[in-house]
Amino acid sequence: MNVFQYFSANSQQILFLTQAHFLYVLICVGIGSAISIVLGLIVSTGEPNPTRFSFDWWATGIREGSLLITAAVLTVPSLALFVLFLPITGLGVTTAIIVLTVYSLYTVLRNTVAGLTSVDRAVLESARGLGYGRVRRLLTIQLPLAWPVILNGIRVTTLISISIAVVGSIVQGPGLGQLLLTGITRIGAANAFPQVLIGTFMCLVVAAVFEIAFAIVQRLTIPRGIRV
Amino acid sequence: MSDTENMIVLEAVEKIYPGSSSPAVERLDMAIPRGEIVMLIGPSGCGKTTTLKMMNRLIEPTGGRIILDGDDVTDVNGDQLRRKIGYVIQQGGLFPHYSIADNIGVVPKMLGWDKNRIKERADELLHLVGLEPSTYRDRYPRQLSGGQQQRVGVARALAADPPVMLMDEPFGAIDPITRDRLQDEFLEIQRTVGKTICFVTHDLQEAVKLGDRIAVFGTGGRLAQYDSPDTVLTSPADDFVSDFVGGGAAVRRLSLLELSRLELHPIETEEKAVGNRNGTPVAEVDGSGRPVAWRHLPDRDAAGTTLVTVPLSGTVYDAVDVMLDGSASLVAVVDEEGLPQGVLHWNDLVAGLKTRERGA
Ligand SMILES: Nc1ncnc2c1ncn2[C@@H]1O[C@H](COP(=O)(O)OP(=O)(O)O)[C@@H](O)[C@H]1O
Ligand SMILES: [Mg+2]
Repeated sequence: MNVFQYFSANSQQILFLTQAHFLYVLICVGIGSAISIVLGLIVSTGEPNPTRFSFDWWATGIREGSLLITAAVLTVPSLALFVLFLPITGLGVTTAIIVLTVYSLYTVLRNTVAGLTSVDRAVLESARGLGYGRVRRLLTIQLPLAWPVILNGIRVTTLISISIAVVGSIVQGPGLGQLLLTGITRIGAANAFPQVLIGTFMCLVVAAVFEIAFAIVQRLTIPRGIRV
Repeated sequence: MSDTENMIVLEAVEKIYPGSSSPAVERLDMAIPRGEIVMLIGPSGCGKTTTLKMMNRLIEPTGGRIILDGDDVTDVNGDQLRRKIGYVIQQGGLFPHYSIADNIGVVPKMLGWDKNRIKERADELLHLVGLEPSTYRDRYPRQLSGGQQQRVGVARALAADPPVMLMDEPFGAIDPITRDRLQDEFLEIQRTVGKTICFVTHDLQEAVKLGDRIAVFGTGGRLAQYDSPDTVLTSPADDFVSDFVGGGAAVRRLSLLELSRLELHPIETEEKAVGNRNGTPVAEVDGSGRPVAWRHLPDRDAAGTTLVTVPLSGTVYDAVDVMLDGSASLVAVVDEEGLPQGVLHWNDLVAGLKTRERGA
């Protein structure tokens, strides 16, 4: 069977895996981004030089610590991380989702922190001078102004996650990894090559769908005054 | 303990920044009278900004009390206090993601005004600061020039009609020509709103032009002199102030003297002056009665002297500027319609300027 024959013979299964892959990435990046943004909001409220043991002092510590840990996680080979979780959560979707979520934390957290803290000091000072409290300032000024940077972080994380999600099939995670893994482990055998090729191609399709979605979300959610 | 004369009173206010051994502002006593513009001036780092920010508690004082309109506000909720005090800073600090109208409406919105009232207020204020509401209300800050942004900054601070405005070098980053215009407009606005204004500047010219009073700060937030501009220029309290005011105090005083307060020499226009060629200068006028050239001058050649004019609303400084610029030894002072009101001679400057009684 050539690639096209294989595709038409297995189209239903391929489409199912593609859709599963899409949802797998969507769920993990969704959870990961939500955690990162909330964490980023809590720890980025600080002043530049907080006094010892104040709220800002703790926030600064937690911020640097969590950036360090999430960055360290990124350097662990994905294959190893999936396997390391096996003794704790076992084979299956749970492990796959936990690991991919953990992977997606760093980029969004870093961009959230960077975006929130790089807001023009004059803007923040005038907000304070007009009677904006801390939370109001964070949610109505810093967050919208940081949003393009945060969204970009989510986008980068999504693209990376699409390929890491493939590795998730090692712990029987969902998605195109199953197709690719079957093909790769049996390379040389019949249908192995079409499986790898189609698996790769469908990953690109998933990426394209995400890119289109991001373009739309960007258009809809970035305030008009700061669109470039 | 209510003090009706003064809007803001600082009592032994002090700020020692954490990690610093010497105070940035040391036991400062100061009273800011209702409806006046008080200019805080002094060398960089002397604590002007710190003093200003303690008035709305953006910076918490480490000692002393702050009284606003008779109430001790040293310990009240800072955010709520600041909604009742206008605040303008050098870089404008407009919110880039809000339209101009929304920027102006932020404080009224926090105070729970209804939408229509906020909208009307924004238009009213845009009008007040000289920006056409229909053109500007839906724009975003980045679509405005620096000067326009600063106007919006002032409008935003005035939005909820606070009795007090604090301004930290609001025109400091603006080019000199625009700054001059903004200052004139600012005085015009103050004439209609009558706020109590505390204004930080490092520009003596600006302090003299805008201030009802000037507070000269020395290093460490020491209040070296607190007086009318005229007094600060003519009788500095100590060596520090006199160094700070520097030479040129006499010239600076010229900009304090409004032409409308002077006894001007008379001026005649052509038709009326036929057969009256004595000591009064005679000007040739155009169709609408505006002077265009000298027809007769008592002691010199009229044809060889340029006719220069200065508006009655200007100061002696403006008159001198015009005379130097036109190499003329006299200047015709004109009213808003451009009609001649009198003449000021170069010699008057040295001979001593005669002023009329204020309000006469
Ligand atoms: N947040 C701060 N922390 C520590 N020191 C400060 C802080 N802000 C200002 N200072 C110091 O306090 C002094 C007064 O500063 P400031 O009020 O900004 O002066 P000015 O506005 O007159 O230039 C300066 O010596 C400055 O270095
Ligand atoms: Mg300053």
